[in-house]
Amino acid sequence: MKWSVDLKGTLSPLSIITAFWLKPNTIAYPAVKKETAKGYRGFHTNFLADCIGCANCQDVCMNDAIDMIKTDKEYNSKNTSQCIPRIDYGRCCWCSLCTDVCPPNSLKLEDDYLNVTKHASDFLYMPKDKE
Amino acid sequence: MENKHITIFHGPQHPGITGNMSIELDLIGETIQKATTHVGYLHRGFEKLIERRTVIQAFTIVCRICVPEPDPNEANFAMAVEELAGLEVTPRAQYIRVMVLELSRLAAQFLWMAGQSGSIGLYAVGQWAIADRDLILDLFEELTGARVYHMYIYPGGVRRDLPEGFLERVTTLLIYMKKRLKDYDDIFINNASFKNRAVGVGIISKEEAVANGYVGQVLRGCGIKADVRKDAPYLVYNELEFEVPTQTTGDVYARALVRRAEMDQSLHILDQVVRKMPEGKVMIKIPTHRKFKLPKDDTWVKVESARGEFAYYMAGDGSEKIRRMQVRGPSLVHAYTLLEDLLIGAELSDVALIMNSLGICPPEIER
Repeated sequence: MKWSVDLKGTLSPLSIITAFWLKPNTIAYPAVKKETAKGYRGFHTNFLADCIGCANCQDVCMNDAIDMIKTDKEYNSKNTSQCIPRIDYGRCCWCSLCTDVCPPNSLKLEDDYLNVTKHASDFLYMPKDKE
Repeated sequence: MENKHITIFHGPQHPGITGNMSIELDLIGETIQKATTHVGYLHRGFEKLIERRTVIQAFTIVCRICVPEPDPNEANFAMAVEELAGLEVTPRAQYIRVMVLELSRLAAQFLWMAGQSGSIGLYAVGQWAIADRDLILDLFEELTGARVYHMYIYPGGVRRDLPEGFLERVTTLLIYMKKRLKDYDDIFINNASFKNRAVGVGIISKEEAVANGYVGQVLRGCGIKADVRKDAPYLVYNELEFEVPTQTTGDVYARALVRRAEMDQSLHILDQVVRKMPEGKVMIKIPTHRKFKLPKDDTWVKVESARGEFAYYMAGDGSEKIRRMQVRGPSLVHAYTLLEDLLIGAELSDVALIMNSLGICPPEIER
């Protein structure tokens, strides 16, 4: 291998020393939390007062991640099926097509995305009702 | 002691491999005698899955064909569907698409920089590049709602309009990047360690590149000015000024210089897009997913991804499903014909270096 003296190429990387005085890009998580962007596609919420149980969300979901489940909660009077969507987060890819096709716009994705659980069955997630 | 033939596997679990694939290397000492590419570790059957879904449902799958750079897939898919269905996208949506594609190109080049520098042990560059790529992902998070798989470029336009003040934040990022990229020149591109390792390694001749259908930086690195954005302009690239950087030596270093120059061009394009962004709607009205039908016709669309020409063939049969879709990315030819050829006679320590310079993404081979 031929080696030649490349003075610029040898000295210029030393400018990395200036990085010691730069502010770090990382944050001290969990003490400092990163703010999620508005409109982030996180967990689902479903405003039951608006949900009409039409199952459009179930129909459009290409991963079969949505089941319509009978609800015992208070629901919209137009919801003749008395069913509301339940999401399987083992299958969901957060594409948000289900929220796009929701006629009353009751199903939405919120910026909450942390769910720690010991039970695999908790992947079957019942979207929170809006308060 | 006499050297004997040794066969080793480079990958699929190896930090110097670009994704889930492996290269079987026959060595004498440190010198490679034969290289055989093996794929099949992440076959998910995208093309077949797409045939079983409606057009709208299929749109969510395509971004997964290339993890470092999903947006060219989304753009290709949307453009193919629009061409078949006869849809015309609004100017604002086209400008937003260009912005997303260029930001995505920039993010992909940062990821390449991390891999290429890591392949020769310059890990500080990798840390910086990943941190700077994250600034772009922050913008994607705000614009699309997701950091990596954006699912944003949609048949008929884009799914959301720009958030308030987004263009100002893009401008701030551009100013930062223009300054920041000079630091990368100092510690990586002009670094004597990198030059000594990359100059004269993995040389591809012009004739070979044309004959075998190589694309992207491989082609431009040996002096051929080929770029889909110039040769067959799509979206609004014909309204934007930019150059196609080339080099003549065809080695790893030439490809690195081309990539670095392309980052400058992306910043230049983004600057123009921000200034020229028109007002108007971002989405046209399209039928619902059960009623969206493609005519009995086929089309071939292509875009310039960060790694080269990226094309889709799509055929409709009058139903709401796509009859056939085929993906033609740069990785197949680069990982098989090119990599196998380039590695013969190379040193074992140069495998990661050469491989990273070719822009290989295995999910695209096993689509």
